Parts: sequence; C-alpha cells; structure tokens
Amino acid sequence: MLKKDLILRNPLRQMGYENDDILPEGGFGAVLARAGVGKTALLVQLSLNMMLRGKKVLHVSLLDPVNKVDLWYRELFRLLAVQYQIGQIRTLWEDILPLRFIMTFKVEGFSVPRLQERLNDLMEQGIFRPDMIIIDGLMFDDTSKPVLDALKEMIEKLGLRAWFTVNIHRQVKADADGLPKPLLPADELFDVALLLVTEGNEMHIRDLKTGDIPSPRPVLILDPATMLIKENVAVAS
Amino acid sequence: MKRDLTRIRNIGISAHIDSGKTTLTERILFYTKRIHAIHEVKGKDGVGATMDSMELEKERGITIASAATYCEWAGHEVNIIDTPGHVDFTIEVERSLRVLDGAVLVLCSVGGVQSQSITVDQQMKRYQVPCIAFINKCDRSGANPNRVIEQLRTKLGHNAVALQMPIGLESDFQGIVDLVSMEALYFDGAHGEDIRSGDIPDQLIAEARQKREELIDQASAFSEELTDAILEEKEISTEMIIKALRKGTLERHMTPVIIGSAYKNKGVQLLLNAVAELLPSPEEVKNTALNLDENEAPVTLSSHPEDPIVALAFKLEDGAYGQLTYIRVYQGTIAKGSTIINIRSGKKIKVGRLVRMHADQMEDIETIPAGYIGALFGIECSSGDTFVSPGLNLAMTSMYVPDPVISLAIQPKDNKAQINMSKALQRFTKEDPTFRCHVDGETNETIIEGMGELHLDVYVERMRREYDAEVTTGNPRVAYRETITQRADFNYIHKKQTGGSGQYGRIAGYIEPTAEGDFIFDNQITGGAIPTQYIPACEKGFRQSLAKGPKLEFPITGIKVAINDGAYHAVDSSDMAFQAAARGAFREAYLRARPVVHEPIMKVVVEAPTEFQGAVMGLLNQRRGMIVGAQDEGHMCVVEAQVPLAEMFGFSTVLRSATQGKAQFTMEFALYRQVPQSIAEKIAEDLAAKKKNAA
Repeated sequence: MLKKDLILRNPLRQMGYENDDILPEGGFGAVLARAGVGKTALLVQLSLNMMLRGKKVLHVSLLDPVNKVDLWYRELFRLLAVQYQIGQIRTLWEDILPLRFIMTFKVEGFSVPRLQERLNDLMEQGIFRPDMIIIDGLMFDDTSKPVLDALKEMIEKLGLRAWFTVNIHRQVKADADGLPKPLLPADELFDVALLLVTEGNEMHIRDLKTGDIPSPRPVLILDPATMLIKENVAVAS
Repeated sequence: MKRDLTRIRNIGISAHIDSGKTTLTERILFYTKRIHAIHEVKGKDGVGATMDSMELEKERGITIASAATYCEWAGHEVNIIDTPGHVDFTIEVERSLRVLDGAVLVLCSVGGVQSQSITVDQQMKRYQVPCIAFINKCDRSGANPNRVIEQLRTKLGHNAVALQMPIGLESDFQGIVDLVSMEALYFDGAHGEDIRSGDIPDQLIAEARQKREELIDQASAFSEELTDAILEEKEISTEMIIKALRKGTLERHMTPVIIGSAYKNKGVQLLLNAVAELLPSPEEVKNTALNLDENEAPVTLSSHPEDPIVALAFKLEDGAYGQLTYIRVYQGTIAKGSTIINIRSGKKIKVGRLVRMHADQMEDIETIPAGYIGALFGIECSSGDTFVSPGLNLAMTSMYVPDPVISLAIQPKDNKAQINMSKALQRFTKEDPTFRCHVDGETNETIIEGMGELHLDVYVERMRREYDAEVTTGNPRVAYRETITQRADFNYIHKKQTGGSGQYGRIAGYIEPTAEGDFIFDNQITGGAIPTQYIPACEKGFRQSLAKGPKLEFPITGIKVAINDGAYHAVDSSDMAFQAAARGAFREAYLRARPVVHEPIMKVVVEAPTEFQGAVMGLLNQRRGMIVGAQDEGHMCVVEAQVPLAEMFGFSTVLRSATQGKAQFTMEFALYRQVPQSIAEKIAEDLAAKKKNAA
C-alpha cells in the first residue's frame, strides 16, 4: 500500500544495474570515501530500500552504538518520506522496522567467528534471517585479507549479500584500475565498488568497477543537505 | 563553617546486599566521631545501625532509602549518600547517583563480584561516577581479595589497582600493607581506632615490592612527572603516586582497591583517606541542568556559590517536625530567609530552617552553598523538584513525566490498614511522579498506576513495611487504548417525549483519526443549526464517550470530532439533550471507523554477559519482542528490544533463571502500538469472561 508510494526501485539502478539487489548472491559491495563524506548515509539508504522491498538487513557497526545507527535510519527515512511526500510515515516505519537488526561490536572485539556465532543465535532461534549484511567500520589494510576471505565464505554459504564501508585517506591516489589502495588486498572479492568524491559542493557517486554496464550512465550524487541519493540532472543531460 | 569546595566529598556507598555496606557506614561515622558507640546491623541491642532509618531496613538489615549523612575526615567534609543496593528501586538509585560525585564500591572478599555489584557498576558507568573499591570482610573464612581484584578486571572491566595487601587473611587477618607508603598498619584499641605503623613483615616484603611496582607502573600512565621519575630512576614520592592515581580515578580509567574488614574495625580509616585523596570534589564534576526556555537543552552549571541558585530535592522524609527535604545545591547558596522558586509548581518559597543531617539526628546550619548537601524544613515539594533563584528557568531532571502504563487494584485488609494506606499513597505519589492512584468510580476499588510490575510491587511492599498497611492486590492490568483508523460520518437525533419536558437534539458530522493530540473538537456549524450555547454540551458529550470505548471499554485517544450540522427544538432542546445526542452520535460512528486496540510497548534493555546473548534474544523474541539491536561490549552485551508490556510480567524471574542471575534489565515506556488481531481477540474474550464473572 503505502510502501508502493516510496521508491521501491533501488536508486542505484539508475547507474545501470540489472536488478534491485545490485549485488549477486554471495556478492560483496564496497562504498569508498574519505571520513565524513557519507558512506554510512549511502549504505543506510541501500538498506532502507531493501527493507521497503520486504527484505531483511543486518547492520553491523564497528563504530557507533545501536542508538546512533538507529538514528541514521530514522533520519534518512524521515527525509525520504518528506521527499516523496508520504503521509503516515509512522505506520510505515513500524512496518519496516522488524526487517532491520543492528549489531554493534567494538573494533577490537570483532571477528568473523564471533559474527557467525551471533548470526547463528539469531537464525537458529528463528529471530532474524538477513538477506543482506552491512558492515560499517571494518579496517581495510594489508592484514584484512583473511578476515574478508572468511566473511566471503560465510556470506556465500548463507546466500547473502554484503556491503562494506571503506575509509580512504586523503593522500591515497587511485591506482591503475581505479581502485584506491585500501581495497586492493581483497580486490577480487568485490563485485561492486562505489566511490564517493566531493566535487565542488557536491558529492558524486562513482562506480569504480564498471563491468559491462553500458555507458553513458547518469551520474548520481548525494545531496549534501539531506544526504539522500539523487540524480544529477545537469551532468546526466 | 569551612568553605573550601576542594575539600568536600559527596560520596555514595554502593554494594550488593549483605556485603557490609551499612556496617561500613556505621564505622565511618564512628571514626569521624559522629557517633560514639557502634551498633551492629542485625543488632542484639535493638538499636540498629545509625544509617538505616526505616523500620524495614532495620529489621531486614538492608538499606532502601538513601539517607544523607555528614561527617568530617582529615580536614575534608564528607557527605555520605547511602544508596539503595537493590535494582528495583530505580528512581531512588538514579536520584542518588545524580547527587553524588564519587562512590565507594563495596565488595565482599568471599562473594566477590556478584550480580548485584554488576548492576550497581552499570549504574555508575551510566552516570560517569568515579569510584574506588573496598574489599570488605577480609576476616571471613574463604576471603581472597586477589580473586576479587581479578573479578573486578574480568567481570566489570575495571582497571583495578591494589593500593594495599593484607597481612594474614580470614581469622588471621591482622593488618594491612600500604603499598604507596610501604609500611605495615595495624588497628589497635577496642574499636581499632589507634593505627600503629610498623615494618612490613619479612615474608611479605618481596610480594609488596612487586605489587608496588605494578601500582606505580599503572599510575605512571596518568602522570608524566611520575613517568619521568621512573625513567630517570629518581625517588618516587607518595604525593606523586597519589596525584597520578587521583587523575586516573577521576577520568574513570582506574579503580583503586582498598581492603579491610569493617566488622573487625580494620582498614576503614584508610578507606576514608582514599576518599579524601582520590575521589573528586564538587568542582571537579561537570553538572548539567536542562534549560526549559530552550526545549530542555543542557546547560553546564558553574558550582560557584555567588551565582544564582540551582538545587535539587532528591529525597523526602516524614519526620517528627513535618516534611524534611534533602537537597543538593549545584550552584549559588541557599541561606535562611532567601527566596527560591520550585520550577515544577512555580511557587515562590522563603527558606526557613536549614539543617545538616546525620541519619535521624540533625544540626542547624545557616547556609547551604554550591556543592553541599543539606535539608530544608517545612517545604511543600516532591522528590526530584528543582529549586532556583527567581529569574532562572532550569530543571535538574526532565519535566516530562510519562503516563502510567500498568495498573493494579489494591484493597486494604481492615480499617486500620485503610487509614495507613491512604497516608502511604499520599507520600508515595509525592515522592514519585510516575506513581499515581485513584478510586475507580464503578468498582470503588483503589487503583494504583505505575511504570511497570516491579515498580508497583515495590510500593505495595513498602506500604506493608513502612506504613503497616496490609493490602490485597488484584492482577496487574495493562493500560490498553483504543483508537480509530478511518473516517466515519454520523447524523444522530436524540428524541425523548415520555412525560415531563421532552428532549431533542440532532448532531451531524464526522470522526477521524488524528496524530496531533488525544482529542480534537472542531466546530464547523454555520447558520446556527445548533445554537452556540449548546456547542460546549456537544463537546462534553463526546469527551464523556472517550473515557470508555464502545469496543473494549479502554480509553480512546487520537481522535478528531467535527460537527457540521444539527437541529434543535425551541422548547425541548437542552444541554442534557445535546450531551446525550453527542454520546449517541459517537456510538453510531465509532464502530464504523474501524476501531483498533493499542498497547504500551516498552523499550527493554538487557545487559548480560556475552555468553547469554543468544538466550536473552530468545527470551525477548518469545515475548512478541522486536529486537532493535545487540551491542557487544567485551565481556558484556546489551540487547535492546521493544516488547509489549503485557508480555513482560514475570520477566525478571525468567531472565534470572536463564542467565544464572547475571543479567539485568531496565524497562521504560516507548510508545503505543496496535495490538495484533489474534491478541485483540483474546483481550476481548478475557474482558467478556470477566464481565460474566462479575455479573
């Protein structure tokens, strides 16, 4: 009913992806940006989009407490509803809320076996079975390959999709294939990599792994005022 | 009176029941010469320890209410706020924690860190209260302070650092080695009041040196001076170590550990030294108030005695001379004759008698400056009220008081109980704004209302104990509500002509759901279809209908009534007639407006050791709970969920047994949400059955 009024299509599909899930089953996606540019905002919107389509999202945060993550969701959902002029947002919010589960770890306390154990707790008791996992705040450096390998194995086994945020540093320049350095150790594991870059007053969403998607494609931007994804009409035309 | 703010300590003594908190407080008062004889908690002499002023506490040897008492030690003025150790007394605990600047966490050297200690520790963490630990009962068989220190580290995640080590243990507990000054201390005299220092016994020297090294190593993290001294191999002075320890303690990065046995009069003076040396003065603690002019935005208070007054009433006591109000002044100075305003009621108050309390005895004083704790006489107020100088609009606690979500019918056993019960209720409603009571017009039962099952249980128990009011209680009832989900029109004629003057009124309009308030009345009548003088009667009629919904007899909220047409009769129309017409119109439209039942949903936060996370989530899930998130915090995890209140009855028992008593939970009202159809049907069935029984 009301959900139909809100965007049911993933805004990223405008970039030319085949289906709304963007990632294939067992696939990895990454959002890369410098600190404070809007990685979490972008992923929360992907997550809200999944929830609006009735799919379940497990949001794992290694940075923020549950309340703060929840606030991201509430705020972006409210803005989204305002943008699409949806009434009765409370009812809709209550409808989709059970489709989200927030799990937070301290960075040093995070490990794949631990995540797996928590996830098993949830799935075995029939409490929550995610379709997608967001992992926000995982360190990407030379030592992260084994962690990512283990995660890949878990995700593939469970038939899920996983998105990551990757923090890049100012000094790091993209190398030959367009991927910034932090992602490199596990490059082959990722199906999609989006880069958020500031250009003037705008934040552009760039696809780093073009694949076979036909070009020219519209450029998406994050509205700096609301952090919502929108199409950059000027550039697209 | 001395006025050095740096020499004031407002401390709480928190502990598990039976870890010897009250005995310790009693000894502190003895050594600070506030009392001249020592009574034991479960005393054979029938006097009881001085701090427990309530009968129930004396009898059971536990402390419920937080009495504040004053004493002096080594040139420091110490206010001891005796905090309740029981989880259920949340409001009381939270208020105490607002008031104190530092705390002593008392642990039993045999029992170690028990589940209650975990609770108390979590509360201190929440309020960022710096603390030192006192490992009591070192004379008991099975005492092992080292194990308790280890538990402090592993179970509570404290950076516990021993400042002392025992000389002998259990029945052989003779004295204490002070690792800072490296001397052995013994407690002589009938009550251990004479401290004798001596050389550390040979067999302990090696261990003492090693522990001192550990201590200095830990302390050096907080002092560059100390680090430099270590690196340059200079002499390390006691002051240097104390300074570093103090810094670590105030930042809550370190918990210094003191040992002793209050019952055997050993080590209490050293604890007092540590309180004076290591815990913060009021100046070193940041206190904030809420600015009511700016939507309760937080404001930092200055703790300066010359600034306008901001003070919090944190506890009331009924004494022989009327109501005694314990206050803590955060800013400014309350003096005899000064004028203060109670922010909640807006009443201006002239301060009369000011006293400083020592449990049941009092001492008259002239002023209570910022940072101090004292008591006012003869002031009408409730617990948690904020007093300010005229012109300020600040509150120490949020002015928002949620509506009760659960109710319980209580019935006094006899006439005496009835009188006592009403006294108790009057007092409790004053102490706690979330606790309310009323008499049901239909059943004539006294109904008490509150924020949860435990909340009401505690008050029923207190009625019994403190006021000797034996009451029987009914089953707790959840405060369901009804509301409508769609618009429905009405056009109703109320007509009666059976003898006497007739009644006539017609009302037309519609009802619809609204999110803007509980009830909105919109008069859209034009052209005098209903004369203006009858409009209030119409509104009154609709309001009357809201008290009990036609569907399940729960109060109705979130409804807008608009009237746009009607008719009247020159002779037969009256206020009564239009009220009846409004009630009829409401009944007519209500069932067509698809009414639904809403239930209170509680935000439940469970803190448990990580190994129980799965079990806790399972429990919440079984109770129709929606888990919002799980936070992993090392040893402990925090699970947050939204659970219907109706499913939370008996949760504490189930949680305890599922987690070996190691989990604790808090519950607060979050929102009202529509009841699922199956549950709504069950509620209706229960209600019908109840009605049948009553008939």
